[in-house]
Amino acid sequence: MSLLEARDLSVSVSLDGQAVPVLRRLNLALEPGKVLGLVGESGAGKSMIGRTVAQLLPPGFSVTSGSLMFDGRDLVRMAPARRRGLLGRDIAFIPQEPLTALNPVLTIGAQMDEHFVHLGMTGRQERHARAVTALEAVHLPEAGDLLRRYPHQLSGGMCQRVLIAMAFASHPRLVVADEPTTALDVTIQAHIMELMAELQRRDGTAVLFITHDLRLAARICDDICVLYAGAVVEQGPARKVFGLPSHPYTRCLQLANPSMRGARRALYALPEQMPGLRALTGIAGCRFAPRCPVAADECRSLDPPLAGDGHKAACLRSELTASIDVGDARRPPAPHRGQKPLLEVAGLSKRFTSGSLFRRSATLAVRDVSFRIGAGEFVAVVGESGSGKSTLGRLLMGLESPSAGRIMLAGQDVTIGTEAARQHRIRMAQMVFQDPQSALNPRRRVGAIVTQALEAGGQRVSRDARERRAGELLAEMGLSPEMATRTPSQLSGGQRQRVNIARALCTVPKLLVADEIVSGLDVSVQAQMLTLLQRLRQELDFAMLFISHDLSVVRHLCDRVLVMYRGEIVEQGATEAVFAAPQHDYTRTLLAAVPAEL
Amino acid sequence: MPRWLRSGRVIVGLLIVLAVLSCALFAPLLAPHDPDEQDLLATLLPAAWQAGGDPAHLLGTDGLGRDVLSRLMFGARVAMTVALVASFGAMAVGSVLAYVAGYLGGWADWLIGRAVDVWMSFPPVILSLILMTGLGTGASNVILAIVLVDWTRFCRVLRSEVLVVARRDYVAAARLVGFSHWRTVTREIVPATIPLLVTLLTLEMGIAVVVEAILSFVGLGVKSSQIAWGQMIADGREAIYQAPWNLLAPVAAIFITVAGFNMLGDGLRRSLDVRMVEGRE
Repeated sequence: MSLLEARDLSVSVSLDGQAVPVLRRLNLALEPGKVLGLVGESGAGKSMIGRTVAQLLPPGFSVTSGSLMFDGRDLVRMAPARRRGLLGRDIAFIPQEPLTALNPVLTIGAQMDEHFVHLGMTGRQERHARAVTALEAVHLPEAGDLLRRYPHQLSGGMCQRVLIAMAFASHPRLVVADEPTTALDVTIQAHIMELMAELQRRDGTAVLFITHDLRLAARICDDICVLYAGAVVEQGPARKVFGLPSHPYTRCLQLANPSMRGARRALYALPEQMPGLRALTGIAGCRFAPRCPVAADECRSLDPPLAGDGHKAACLRSELTASIDVGDARRPPAPHRGQKPLLEVAGLSKRFTSGSLFRRSATLAVRDVSFRIGAGEFVAVVGESGSGKSTLGRLLMGLESPSAGRIMLAGQDVTIGTEAARQHRIRMAQMVFQDPQSALNPRRRVGAIVTQALEAGGQRVSRDARERRAGELLAEMGLSPEMATRTPSQLSGGQRQRVNIARALCTVPKLLVADEIVSGLDVSVQAQMLTLLQRLRQELDFAMLFISHDLSVVRHLCDRVLVMYRGEIVEQGATEAVFAAPQHDYTRTLLAAVPAEL
Repeated sequence: MPRWLRSGRVIVGLLIVLAVLSCALFAPLLAPHDPDEQDLLATLLPAAWQAGGDPAHLLGTDGLGRDVLSRLMFGARVAMTVALVASFGAMAVGSVLAYVAGYLGGWADWLIGRAVDVWMSFPPVILSLILMTGLGTGASNVILAIVLVDWTRFCRVLRSEVLVVARRDYVAAARLVGFSHWRTVTREIVPATIPLLVTLLTLEMGIAVVVEAILSFVGLGVKSSQIAWGQMIADGREAIYQAPWNLLAPVAAIFITVAGFNMLGDGLRRSLDVRMVEGRE
């Protein structure tokens, strides 16, 4: 018998008095001791399943039909008191944000103790001993000392280990893990996943693993459920689903992920994006049909049922799925040889000081960094959080002033922030920020944002000229011209990031500094952005410093790579060469942490 | 209809403020009597609906036989002038310093921050009494005293908001495309702080009404020839048992006016503040 089984489970939200389905007649089963992966892009409804288990649906959301059986009992209709008895004991949760999931004013020990009291342990000594064993099981050293510490004194990875220790402490039969490693660095991600797998095998726990990361799902899951717009489009054993996808969406997602091995291939850029909640009600037929490369007329009128034996797919033309493919990657334009480098950085350092007048402490965020970027070259900076890669970008753009070293931009020294240096930099270099939410002024219209450069420095550019330029830029970004009158809040994440790039390209700079510009995006949107950047590169011929933690993206996009570790560049070279034969230990660790091919 | 007008608090607050404001503006037309006209044969009359009341004096008369309702209406003139001018003045001083401190940071922030700290360490009522003793009475001096005491309120609250906005990436982006500091502040930062500024302004108006009443009550406010609510309270105090309306009417006027400003400010805060709006949607 299945441990967790959803039978025709439907969840709806009421929008403007109308019930809009978020999950539609969902059927899935999780056997004891297995790992079931729920994958899909944001808005697919994958987190709703986890929330239904805990009955923690957001306000306005409710289960409208069907049931969710845990061990033969329906969680939806169960009395709250009985459900509370199960949660934390038989069903445990691992949250997405480890730092916000722990109470900042209580020690780790106090929080674990509280959990054990909830589990019904009475002896203080016994609880303490259990806490120590639980922490040792997740390979945290000096557990006794750790119990006296506060969450802010621990790294994100350690906090997540503590939470995993608490989740598995009661030997639960089901663990729901909602994006447990998304907030963590790649190298730590790998450790956390191994740890979860180890505990899962030890206790024979069933795990409901919710993620947007196909690679990760492929690596650890027994079974996979692919969700699109609130419905399961494909499910089956992980090896079959990823080995030979039956649904075009799964295949497209797979092809939208840049590969880590073999020849560089183009990315499959699905057009547009998943329909939002409001748009869902109006779609007849298959919901993926508007974006599907193999859709026929019948797909737009018939809603395909989930068909198949063991490996099921909801598609009328699943035999055509295997035919979806992409060609080789576009060859990057040849670097401009023989020219002076566009950017030359020598011995650049940045020291941050903090603390009071008497107890000053200094940290070297960037330490003696030297590198060059040629005209038209795409160079990546990789490293984990805190490695100084974002600070490096801000130093180059003059948002921070360097403590030592020299920055030469197109033959002119821009190290010191004089007005002449600033004007030169404005003409030559622009920056694209990480978080489009914060990078776009919510009170301005898109048209004004992308042509912002034209109002700077006392220039008088006529309204017509600005509107024309805005139209050109939006067209170049693949956005429709009527976007110009919208405000950023009316755009989707991908559209915002396009506007963000458009602003930087308004005055056609020679160098673009891009800080994690695709990291917050869904895979299909990320593929669109990467394809866009490659096209713009050929049309506008700019160089780019691409700051990223995602090695597969870097491999796809960049010619050269700089590996940063604790403020230093520990390795640099051509991307292919570095990835094929890493020299530095840290580069090896980074590469090893990336899950294998899909 | 704009979102901020859909809130009940804003509508009620706005109605009260507009009512008091029109009383002040049209006092000569609305008032049934000349506020300074004395009728020594009809002193301390009770309100019209009480025994012995005179329908000609709706809220009765004071110790010199002057019509309380008319005096209330003329008193609103001083109250509203002080409320509007003083709060705009305090906003001007406080917000300019707040933008400078929040945007430039560093030593400018340190200097302005310390100035605010030192300023705020004086009890505000004592500070304004000292100022009034030095400056002498008169409506313009009351306004000056309120500006000098209350600019710190604007400065401190707004500075923290400016700090948050100035760290947004779009402010850095504006600098990177070549905006001057002036243009960055006026185009990117000020619009983001307008909702907070409007809210603070309406709340400050309520405070100014109270401060003016306090100063007039102790005789350090407007000149004795002018009519102010604080003065009416001071006068009414002496005949509290014979004619309670002399005291209650100006107290109620102050109470209602301040409540109106506060409801307006509170309602605006709830509907203009992006964070609170997001929390509900």
